[in-house]
Amino acid sequence: MRRLISGNEAIFQGAIRAGASYFAGYPISPTSEILQQASLHSEENPEFRFLQAEDEIAAAIATISASLAGAKAFTATSGPGFSLMQEALGWGHVVEAPCVFVNSMRVGPSTGMPTQPAQADLLQIKGGTAGDYYPIAFYPNSVEECFRLTITAFNAAEESLSPVILLADAFLSHLYEVVDLQAIDAEVLPREKEPLGKSQRLFTGTVHDKMGNVKTNDPETYRAWLSELKDRHQRVAKKYPLFEYLPCQDSSVLLIAFGITSRILSPLKNRFSVFRPIRIFPLLEENLKEVTQPYRDIIVVEGSNGQYAGWVEWAIGRRVLRVPCLGGGFKFQWIQHQIEEQLRGGRG
Amino acid sequence: MMDRSYKELLKMRRFPHTWCPGCGIGAVLKNVAMVLKELGWNHQNTVAVSGIGCSGRMSGYMNLDAVHTPHGRALTAAEAIKTARPDLNVVVLSGDGDLASIGGNHLLHTSRRNPDITVFCNDNEIYGLTGGQAGPTTPKGTKTITSSRGEPFSPLRLGRILTSQAPYFYARTTVYHLNHLKTCIREAVLWKGFSFVDIISDCIELNGRRLGFKTAHQMFKWFDERFHIVEGERDHLREDELGIAKTEAEEVPKPMEKVEIKPKVPVEGLKPFTLDELQRFDGTGEKPIYIAYKGKVYDLSASPLFQGEKRMRCHIAGKDLTKDIDIAPHGEDLIFKFPVVGRLK
Repeated sequence: MRRLISGNEAIFQGAIRAGASYFAGYPISPTSEILQQASLHSEENPEFRFLQAEDEIAAAIATISASLAGAKAFTATSGPGFSLMQEALGWGHVVEAPCVFVNSMRVGPSTGMPTQPAQADLLQIKGGTAGDYYPIAFYPNSVEECFRLTITAFNAAEESLSPVILLADAFLSHLYEVVDLQAIDAEVLPREKEPLGKSQRLFTGTVHDKMGNVKTNDPETYRAWLSELKDRHQRVAKKYPLFEYLPCQDSSVLLIAFGITSRILSPLKNRFSVFRPIRIFPLLEENLKEVTQPYRDIIVVEGSNGQYAGWVEWAIGRRVLRVPCLGGGFKFQWIQHQIEEQLRGGRG
Repeated sequence: MMDRSYKELLKMRRFPHTWCPGCGIGAVLKNVAMVLKELGWNHQNTVAVSGIGCSGRMSGYMNLDAVHTPHGRALTAAEAIKTARPDLNVVVLSGDGDLASIGGNHLLHTSRRNPDITVFCNDNEIYGLTGGQAGPTTPKGTKTITSSRGEPFSPLRLGRILTSQAPYFYARTTVYHLNHLKTCIREAVLWKGFSFVDIISDCIELNGRRLGFKTAHQMFKWFDERFHIVEGERDHLREDELGIAKTEAEEVPKPMEKVEIKPKVPVEGLKPFTLDELQRFDGTGEKPIYIAYKGKVYDLSASPLFQGEKRMRCHIAGKDLTKDIDIAPHGEDLIFKFPVVGRLK
């Protein structure tokens, strides 16, 4: 049945399709609707468990704990809440808990501009918790893709045995589009990790060996653990090299944009080539190198002051031009003007 | 001969344990294991959850699936596990700093939501693992490495906090009163709902010696002087009492219900309006502002919100606004304040 639904609803329905049976959250714009939907769903389906936690710290810890207990679990928040979830995110990587964290970005830092869209949590999701880890993050740009990528995120979580991040922005969360969810076919991976209450394992955030013995003085154990984590995440990421590339024959300029900015830029696709990364992390390093190679100018248009642009420069080894859409300003005319300004400046 | 079968519940291969000689945690762990063994709880039906600290290491010595959470989050993790898997028994083994300070917010809210979990709090009134800093339960005046002139603040009274809202189960005992300790553990485990055992414990190395005690046994004697056991059912415990305070759920007052406000004016005998006629009263010129709601026409000329553009946001004057008002965040009582001037044909 074709229905007018929002990005938030598509994310929730995607989670249900992926087999989610636990949601914990704390109210925050722009993802409060996911919390509300989870609450309504749990009233009608008692096997679906719901917790409105006292804060995002508890919501994230509960999500990971429910995952260890055997439930496919997820939580949803925005930038300020995600900051509070960082502790749990690190823990989730060490105890190997497959689950999904939705972060619909709004203007920050701190309370910022509730609720204007932004895309400035990339560095926060990449490295916000303590230590080294290799998070996987996807970023849709339409309501239908919100549904599909939520399922992908759940699958990637089951494979990587870690929390996987689904990004969105305030714009996308509240974007309404007509979608037929039933007609969407998607593979769903089952839970393979053995749930709690079966054996005598220790799930600890402290560095430990395969037997669950805590090893706080042994660099070898740590190095082996980290390299295994990195390999596992890279192997899973390789399965999902998701991006969209729309080459424009006469153009010597490549625009890079993702999420809602890529939708706003779509009228320019006849003038410029456009590359849209869908898997934000691990970075699409090889694809970026290959795609950007023939272009004279590369312009990254994003809702942050160069967070993705910096990663692109790091990956391809040359400077890129930047159009930062800051403070929730995502107006097409303004962006188009900025692109032209950048190109004029770029030609000297 | 003493029954030593409780050792099946302990990871004996990991012994000797990490705790200092004389520490009270061993007594807590042993008695919890003894009670769980007696009740037939094992790795197929029970999960142990801990936070961070010396006492947070307890779950790792249990021969169960154990979850060692970040600092302060043991209660949240335990509640989520119990919610996701109601068939599992969940016990929390942690300390006062973890549960009451960094996890204080979770203590308030998890106890309020009353999941069927049992919490054993090794309450040694100090941060031991990090070297002896003042904690949330450190008695006022105690000298610690972060309060060299004596802790200036009153301690958190867990007994009062956890017995503020029924239903509750709060037991206070010590590692010196071993029979009482075991009784409290057993009763707490059997309690349906959130139960909390506050086990006053000693930290001889990083607290006791600074207080002037030479041995752990001297601290135990001090516990015996400070506290006495009270028997029987209690609603509350005084600060020097050891015992069990518990109360079943009390009658909950009914939640607030929506009160229907009925308009007083009957429909009959009112001036009839068609939708076209109504449209003329849109506030332009000197005309009044009329709107229709559920078959009646109201005069909203006095409404301060309908001035200027003759509309209140999306509500336009001269229209039937029944649907608009039904989905508006405010109730219909806002409309009933205005005079009725007719009815809709």
